[in-house]
Amino acid sequence: MQETGLGQDIVHTGVPGLDVLLGGGVPRGTTIILEGNPGTGKTTLGIQYLLEGARQYGEAGIYITFEELPEQIYRDMAGFGWDLRELERQNKLRIICLEPDVLLDQMMRTDGLFEQLIREIDCKRVVIDSISLFRKLGGLETDGREQIYSIRNIMRKFDLTAFFLREYGETEGRSTPFENYVCDGIIRLSLREHLEKYRKRTIEILKMRGTCIVEGEHHYRFMNDGICILPALSMVEDKILNDGVDRLSTGIESLDEILIGGLPHGSAFMLDSNSKANYNYLMNSIHAERLRQGDCVLFMLSGLSSIDTLEQTLALFDVSLKEAAAEERVFFIDHYHRKVAPEYEKLVIYVDRLSNEEYQKKVYEAINPHFRETMVQGKRWFIHYDLNTIISERGREFVKRNFADEMARCRAAGITVLCQSNFTEIGLETSSFLERASNGVIRTWVDGSYQYLQITKSPGGRMSAPHIVDNIRDRPYVRLI
Amino acid sequence: MTISDQELLKLQMECTMFFENNPYAYETAKGLAKKLGRGIEPLQIVLNRLAAISILDKRGEGNMAIYSYKTPYTQSEVEIH
Repeated sequence: MQETGLGQDIVHTGVPGLDVLLGGGVPRGTTIILEGNPGTGKTTLGIQYLLEGARQYGEAGIYITFEELPEQIYRDMAGFGWDLRELERQNKLRIICLEPDVLLDQMMRTDGLFEQLIREIDCKRVVIDSISLFRKLGGLETDGREQIYSIRNIMRKFDLTAFFLREYGETEGRSTPFENYVCDGIIRLSLREHLEKYRKRTIEILKMRGTCIVEGEHHYRFMNDGICILPALSMVEDKILNDGVDRLSTGIESLDEILIGGLPHGSAFMLDSNSKANYNYLMNSIHAERLRQGDCVLFMLSGLSSIDTLEQTLALFDVSLKEAAAEERVFFIDHYHRKVAPEYEKLVIYVDRLSNEEYQKKVYEAINPHFRETMVQGKRWFIHYDLNTIISERGREFVKRNFADEMARCRAAGITVLCQSNFTEIGLETSSFLERASNGVIRTWVDGSYQYLQITKSPGGRMSAPHIVDNIRDRPYVRLI
Repeated sequence: MTISDQELLKLQMECTMFFENNPYAYETAKGLAKKLGRGIEPLQIVLNRLAAISILDKRGEGNMAIYSYKTPYTQSEVEIH
């Protein structure tokens, strides 16, 4: 049991992966429909919810079956190594077999069989297999609405967190079944074609009141010890970059959330945007946050961004570039030899009319002394690396030859890098190479009337769902929804 | 239809085994008839008989009477002084 910040009592299902999708679990006392075609694993998931409740959280549960014989369930579940009879002996579980009309009759009685059973084992969780049969209870004229509504209310009255199993095929194609309105959540299990010869099992949470869910379809598998759900958009975690690494805030709360705290210190991230997408606020919020935190920042200026424009944009974030310059915390690489205000002069590394070798040498020699000095003082470094400028000024081959090496050196030195690029313009081959050489990729693009942002690669192994980039009036001027 | 004692005895065994294997089954005669694939009438006779000899619990009367298993008391350990 867990209390959320809102004082909500959360029930963890204990089913591997399911609580991740449910944002921790489901609010206590809710009624959830678990639907799927035959063979999708409704019974297994229902039993596993009760079993884990008993084993992990000390919560007793009742499984009510109308059609299946308990002995069949004991046998089937023994295949996962689950000894349900033993749990019954310990009063942590009951597999009850009775008719739907009898159940309802007993539920409605004061001190009926249902109340007695709840008391007997101090029941907290219930699974009813299946509610489809209630449709026939009221006769042909009714659809069992009253009966299901009563049962839902009885569950709430006793603070029971219940899963109602339902055959999906029965509701497919019909107008929305009334249970969908009555119940607090809907989870659907499906079996779909996959890679032509295979079929994949997916789970999707279609509705859930009172908890923040991970949307979309997620794979699940039957393992030796039950069902295991694999939350989508997750990949193998990069332990080295995740264990105990500081996170650098981007200054955008919603972006920090999907980056699980921000950019990992000492990582190289790519910001891939197409020409229509406005990445300025994203980029400048990250720069402003670094300067605000006292970090040193090396900016690679593009043809469109001069020190003047940078100064103005950072001022929008209440950060003074001049002050950072006076403290010698900002440096600039300029390929276009633009005139700058005197206070910036000694901080600009002009690299126009230099060969690639000269360029590398000049940047290294100019930055290295500052880098050494500030690292001794414990300062962090951040580099804004404009790949579009480097490709146009130094060539694609230069990038291919040096990028991976440069990123590796930055990582080794604990420098965090944010590279700006346009993968579509760069081409598939180069962009896949750049993606491989980076620890993470933030992608933003315009589709129709909306701009989207998605983390497509991260050292944490998690991809995010696409978020809409929404403009807001106040700093940081954007938020992700 | 008359049912022989032998048939009833067989049915009684079948019911006992059913409740022993499904100790938390709560069945009406109608529900059990569906599960065992037997007629309601002979089942009602047998279920009442099992209730009378305390193998089953009976709650309620008539069609809605519910029968459930009375788990026999067993003692696995005995302390000898």
